[in-house]
Amino acid sequence: MKTVLSLMVNGVARDDVVPDNMLLVDYLREKAGLTGTKIGCDGGECGACTVLIDDRPRHACLTLASTCQNARVETVDGLSRDGRLTAIQRGFHEKLGSQCGFCTPGMIMASEALLRRNPDPSEGEIRDALAANICRCTGYVKIIEAVQFAARELAA
Amino acid sequence: MELLPDMHVHHPVTVEEAVALHAAAAAGRYLAGGSDLLVNIRRGIEQPDSLVYLNGINEMHAITNVDDGRSGRISIGGAVTLRELAESRFLRENFLAVVQAAGQVAGPSHREYGTLGGNLCLDTRCVFYNQSEWWRAANNYCLKYRGDICHVAPGGKICFAAFSGDVAPALLLFDAEVELAGPNGRRRIALAALYRNDGMDHLTLADDELLVAVHISKHPSPTPSGYAKSRVRGSIDFPLAGVAVRMDMQGKEIADLRVALTGVSPLPFLVRGLEKFLGRRADDACLEELRDAVRGQAKAMKTSMTPPHYRRRVAGALAQKLAESIL
Amino acid sequence: MNKIAPIQSIGIPKPLVDGPEKATGRAMFAADFQAADALVGRILRSPVAHANIIAINTAKAEALPGVMAVVTEADCADSYGVLPIAMNEWALARHRVRYRGEPVAAVAAVDVATAQRALDLIVVTYEELPAYFTAAEARAEGAMDLHEDKPGNIEREVEFDLGDVDTDMAAADLVREIEVHCTEVCQAQMEPHAAFAEYDAAREQLTIRPSTQVPFYVHKMLARTMDMADSHIRVIKPHIGGGFGCRTETLQSDLIAGLLARKARGTVKVVLSREETFITHRGRPETDIKMKVGMKKDGTITAVDFSAQQRGGAYSGYGIVTILYAGSLIYGIYDIVSVRFHGYRVLTNTPPCGAFRGHGTVKTRFAFESLIDGMAMELGLDPFAVRRANLLVAPTMTENDLLVNSYGLDQCLDWVEKASGWKQRKGKLALNKGLGMACSHYISGASKPKHWTGEPHATIHLRVDWDASITLLTGAAEIGQGSSTVMAQCVAETLGVDMGRIRVIASDSALTPKDNGSYSSRVTFMVGNAAIDAAQNLKAVLIRAAARKLEIAPEDVECLGEVYRGGKQDQGLTFDEVVMDALTGEGTLAVKGTYDTLPESWGGRKYRGAAIGGTMAFSYAAQVVEVTVDPHTAEITVDKVWVAHDCGKALNPLAVEGQVQGSVWMGMGQALSEEARYHEGLPLHANMLDYRVPTIIESPPIEVGIIEANDPHGPFGAKEAGEGSLTGFLPALTNAVADAMGVRATELPLTPDRLLELLEKKARGERAAGATDGAAA
Repeated sequence: MKTVLSLMVNGVARDDVVPDNMLLVDYLREKAGLTGTKIGCDGGECGACTVLIDDRPRHACLTLASTCQNARVETVDGLSRDGRLTAIQRGFHEKLGSQCGFCTPGMIMASEALLRRNPDPSEGEIRDALAANICRCTGYVKIIEAVQFAARELAA
Repeated sequence: MELLPDMHVHHPVTVEEAVALHAAAAAGRYLAGGSDLLVNIRRGIEQPDSLVYLNGINEMHAITNVDDGRSGRISIGGAVTLRELAESRFLRENFLAVVQAAGQVAGPSHREYGTLGGNLCLDTRCVFYNQSEWWRAANNYCLKYRGDICHVAPGGKICFAAFSGDVAPALLLFDAEVELAGPNGRRRIALAALYRNDGMDHLTLADDELLVAVHISKHPSPTPSGYAKSRVRGSIDFPLAGVAVRMDMQGKEIADLRVALTGVSPLPFLVRGLEKFLGRRADDACLEELRDAVRGQAKAMKTSMTPPHYRRRVAGALAQKLAESIL
Repeated sequence: MNKIAPIQSIGIPKPLVDGPEKATGRAMFAADFQAADALVGRILRSPVAHANIIAINTAKAEALPGVMAVVTEADCADSYGVLPIAMNEWALARHRVRYRGEPVAAVAAVDVATAQRALDLIVVTYEELPAYFTAAEARAEGAMDLHEDKPGNIEREVEFDLGDVDTDMAAADLVREIEVHCTEVCQAQMEPHAAFAEYDAAREQLTIRPSTQVPFYVHKMLARTMDMADSHIRVIKPHIGGGFGCRTETLQSDLIAGLLARKARGTVKVVLSREETFITHRGRPETDIKMKVGMKKDGTITAVDFSAQQRGGAYSGYGIVTILYAGSLIYGIYDIVSVRFHGYRVLTNTPPCGAFRGHGTVKTRFAFESLIDGMAMELGLDPFAVRRANLLVAPTMTENDLLVNSYGLDQCLDWVEKASGWKQRKGKLALNKGLGMACSHYISGASKPKHWTGEPHATIHLRVDWDASITLLTGAAEIGQGSSTVMAQCVAETLGVDMGRIRVIASDSALTPKDNGSYSSRVTFMVGNAAIDAAQNLKAVLIRAAARKLEIAPEDVECLGEVYRGGKQDQGLTFDEVVMDALTGEGTLAVKGTYDTLPESWGGRKYRGAAIGGTMAFSYAAQVVEVTVDPHTAEITVDKVWVAHDCGKALNPLAVEGQVQGSVWMGMGQALSEEARYHEGLPLHANMLDYRVPTIIESPPIEVGIIEANDPHGPFGAKEAGEGSLTGFLPALTNAVADAMGVRATELPLTPDRLLELLEKKARGERAAGATDGAAA
C-alpha cells in the first residue's frame, strides 16, 4: 500500500508517494536524500536516528513515514539555515563533542530539542535529555560541555 | 533500507472505526507509539498486513479529572504518552508511583511517543524471543513463537517470557480499571484482569479489542507510593525487576500495604500475603521481612542476561528501600 | 606593530579539521553513499556452529527476477587474513562453517525484498560436526580440530621464561596468586559495517568505500580474494563511525561487496545490521589468567609467574599477536626482570576475536594491578608507594628487549594522587564508598611491520602549486581520533604557516601514499614523524627558492612561516611569493617525507614471537576511581575518575583529552556492564540493548591530566594517547570496590549480580566466624 505523504522536512514542504511500510529514517535518507540521520542499531536502542517531529525528539527508525502526515520534521541536515553552524553545531565541533561523528546527528537533535524548551539546562537536565543517545567515542564528557557551550552562546 | 512486511496503515478518527478496521483485517495490529511493535515487526516476530494507527483518535489522548465532591476518578486515554504521564502534576500529587514508573520507561525519546496503552500491553520478553528471524530459526524457534521448546526451561511446556512494562505495577496499587473496546462494544475490567500468567498469551484482550483508557479512583487523601526500577544501566533498559509500593501509616503502624512487581513473571502482579504486616510497626525487622516476602514471590527465570537470583533479590531490596523512603 | 613570527600549531587545543562536516550531517559514511542503480547486497549466514558444507544450491536464487548476482566460496580465489602467517579465513565459507553466523553466500538484488527472497531460496546442505563453545571444550581430549593445521585447537602456544623466576620468587617476602576470568567484549562502535562497491565493467576496475581502519589491508585482501591486480582496485576510505580495532582487519563484508559488484557488473551496497556487526565481531577474547607475584616488604616486585588462556573464536585473525601481547607487555611499565609466561590461544566455534583497544594487554594488566593492590593491603603499603617502588628509569631496555626511551609514570602518579585527594581521603570516605588506583601503558605503534615490504613505515606527500595552498596527502585512516588534524598541525608547525593553508586528503589509494592503517596507536608517532619530515623537505625547497630571490645564501634566510626574509631590515617575501619562486623552472612542488622505526625498537628474539611488544615509545597512565556501592542492590556508581596520561608532547591537547576520556570510559563499560555471551554459539548480546554500553546517565566526570614526558623520537616528542588509559580503569574499579566493600572481584564485568554474590559470600563468612567466636566464648 502506498500513500501520498505531505509534510515539512527542514522547512521545505514535500509530497512523496511512500509505501506504508517505509520507516521515516529510510524515507529521509533515501527518498529525501538527507543522509545526515544515521542508523546505528536494529531498532530504538542507540539514538543515532533521533530527529525532531514537531519540536520533539523521536526515533526515526521506529516511526513509519506514513504516520507523519502534515508533521514538521527536522534533521541535522537542515539545522543551519544560513550556511553557518548553529550554536549547538559549533559546540560539538569546537568543544570536541564529536569524534567519529556517527552519533553526532542524533545527539545534536536531542540537544536541540532540549535547548528549545529549556535554554539554560543544568548538567542533570542535559544528562536526562541525552539518556537515549549512545556515544562510543567521547565518554559523554565533552558532549555535555558542548551543550553547555551552546546554552551560553544562545544566552549571549 | 529495512525490510518490513507489506502493510496498509489505517488512520481512524474514532475508537469504533479503529475496531472495525482491525476486525476487517486478516492480520491486523494496533499501532500507537510503535516502540515495541515496530521492533518486533522489524525482527519478523510480528507480521501484520494492516496497522491501525491510534494517534488520530482524540478520545484516546485525553487526561480527564472527574471530581464529584467526595472522590471522583481520573481517566487517562490509552494514547497518552509516557512523557505526558510523567509530567502530570495531578498524577504526581495523587499517584506518585505512576509518575515515577512512567518517567523511568526506556529513555527520553522513547517516552515522547511511547504510550500508556502500549506500555500496559507490552509483549512479554525473553532473550530467546527478542532476536532476529535468522537467530530464532537457527535456534529452532521457541515455545512462544513457532517452536516446541522453551529454552529457559526445556523440560516443560510453559513459557516464561517476562512482562516488562513499568507502569502496570504502579497502577495495580490503585485498583486501576481499564476500558476496552471491541466488536461487541465496550467493557471495563480491573487492570489485574487484563493479564494472565502465560508468557505466550499474557493479555486477556479479546480478538480485535483495544485498550481505550485507564480509570483510577481518587482517594480523599493521596496515599504515599513509589516505584523503583532495577536495571544495569541508568536508562533505556527494561526492568530486571520493577517494584511499586503503596503504604499507609496510622501513627507508627502500617495501616495498608501493597506491593506490585513487574519484570519477574509473565504478568505484573500484586504480591500476596501482605496482610500479616498490617498493624505492625514499620521497623527494620519488619521491612526485612517485607523484603524476604517480596523476594519469595519474584520468581524470575533465565529470560535475560542477568541471572534470576539477582532479579529476585533486588525485587526484595527495592521493596524494602521504597518502604523506607515512604516512612 | 605586528610582530612577524611563525604561527604555532601544536600544543594548542584544535577542533578537528573535519568537525563541520560531522556537525552538519554532511560527512559521508559508507552507508550514506547512494547511486540510482546501486544494488542491495545481503549475506546468507550459517545457522549451525560447525559443519561440512555438502552442497550449496543457488539456482533458484539466481533465477529470481531482480537478482543480479549470487556468490559463494566458488567465487573466491583465495583465503585471507590479517597476519601473513595465518590466512585461514574465507570471505564466504569454504567447505566448512565454523561459527553460527559465518557468511556462506551473498546476493545482490534490485531491492531489499528481492535480496531477502533470494537468500531464502538458497539451499545449503550441512553435515553437522561436534561444536565447542568454550576453550576447555575445544581443548578436551578427543575434540575435533577446527583447522587441520592447528591440532588440539591451539592457534598458538606461547612460552617464555626470563630472568630467574624461581630464585626471585623465593626471595620475596610475600607471594600471592590471583585467578581472573574476564568475559569476551565487543567494540560496539556506533557505525555498523558497510561497504559501497562500484565495479567498472568497461575497465575491469573496482572502486570500493568500506568502513575500515585499514584501507591498505582491504586493498590487498580484495586483490587476493578476487584474483584481481592490485592496480585495478581503488580503496577510498569514507568517514568512519569508530573502530576500536573491530576494523583493523579486512572484514568479510568488504570482500563480499567487491565480489558482488564484479559479478553483477555494477554497484553494490552492503550494509550490515547491528546483529551482523556483532557477529562479525573481532572483539576481545574471553580470558582466564592465573598469576603469581612475589613482592618484598618494601613493595619491590621480585618475580611474576603467570598463564593466560584466550578463547579466540573460529579463525586466526590477530590471534597469535593477541596472545603474545598478553605476555610481553607485562614488561615496559615497571622494573620487573623475572617473568615466566605460558599462554594459549584456543580456537572455538564462536565468532572470531580480534584486536580491541589495548589488545592482549588489558586482562593481564587487570590481573596484575588487582593482585598487587591486594598484596599492598596485606603489607600495609599504600598502592602508590608500591608503584613508586618499581619505577623504571629511562632510557632502558626491558628484559624482553623492549625499548623505553621516555617514561612519565612517576609524574602520572603524582598528578592523580594530588588531583584525587588520595592522601587526605583514602580510608576516610563514608560507608560504602571507596577509592582505587591502577596504572597501565601501551605502545605507540608496533615497530616491526606485519607485511615486510621494505617500505618506510609511513609516507606523507605534500603538494604545493601556484595557489600556495598545501595539500597533505596521507594514507593514514582518520577514524574520528583526529589523525588528519594532527598531520596538518605537524606540517603547519614545521613550516610556521597558517593551518588554514592545508587541506588533508586521506586514504584514497589512487591519490594518497600507502599507510598501514589506524591500529596499535601508530599514526601520531609514525605518520606524524613522516609529516614533519615532509614539511622539513618542503621548507628546504622554499628556503632555497627564497634565497635565490633574495640573492642570499640559504642559511641566511629567516623562515617566519608566512614570511621569508633575509634579516630584520628586510621586508621579506610572503609565502605566496616564495611559492611562485619555487615553481619557477620546477612546476608544481611534490615533496615526500617518510619515517622508519629504529631496528632496536623491533622487540626481542628471546622467544618465538618476542618482537610483539616492540615499539618506539610507550605511553603511561595512572588513574584513580571513586565509587559508591549500594549494599542492598550491589549497584556500583562511579562518582569520578582522575586520569593522568603521559602522551609525550600533546600535539592537540583537546583531542588528547577526548581520547583519554573515551578510553577510560570504554574501560568502564568492560568493567561494569558489557559482556558477550553465547547460547550454543548463538550470540545473546547481539544488539545495543543486551550489549550494555554505558549511557550518559551512569557515565562519570573524567578529569584528565596531560603529562608530557617527551620522547626523543616522537613527532615533537609525542606518543600515543588513545589506548593506554583504557586498561587501567578495570583494576582501578575493582580496587575501589575492594576499598569500599572489602571484597575483591576477579570476574569481569562486575555486574550487580556478581558483586551481590561476593557481598553475600563475605557476609556469610563473617556470620560463620561470629558464630565460631560465639561458640568459642
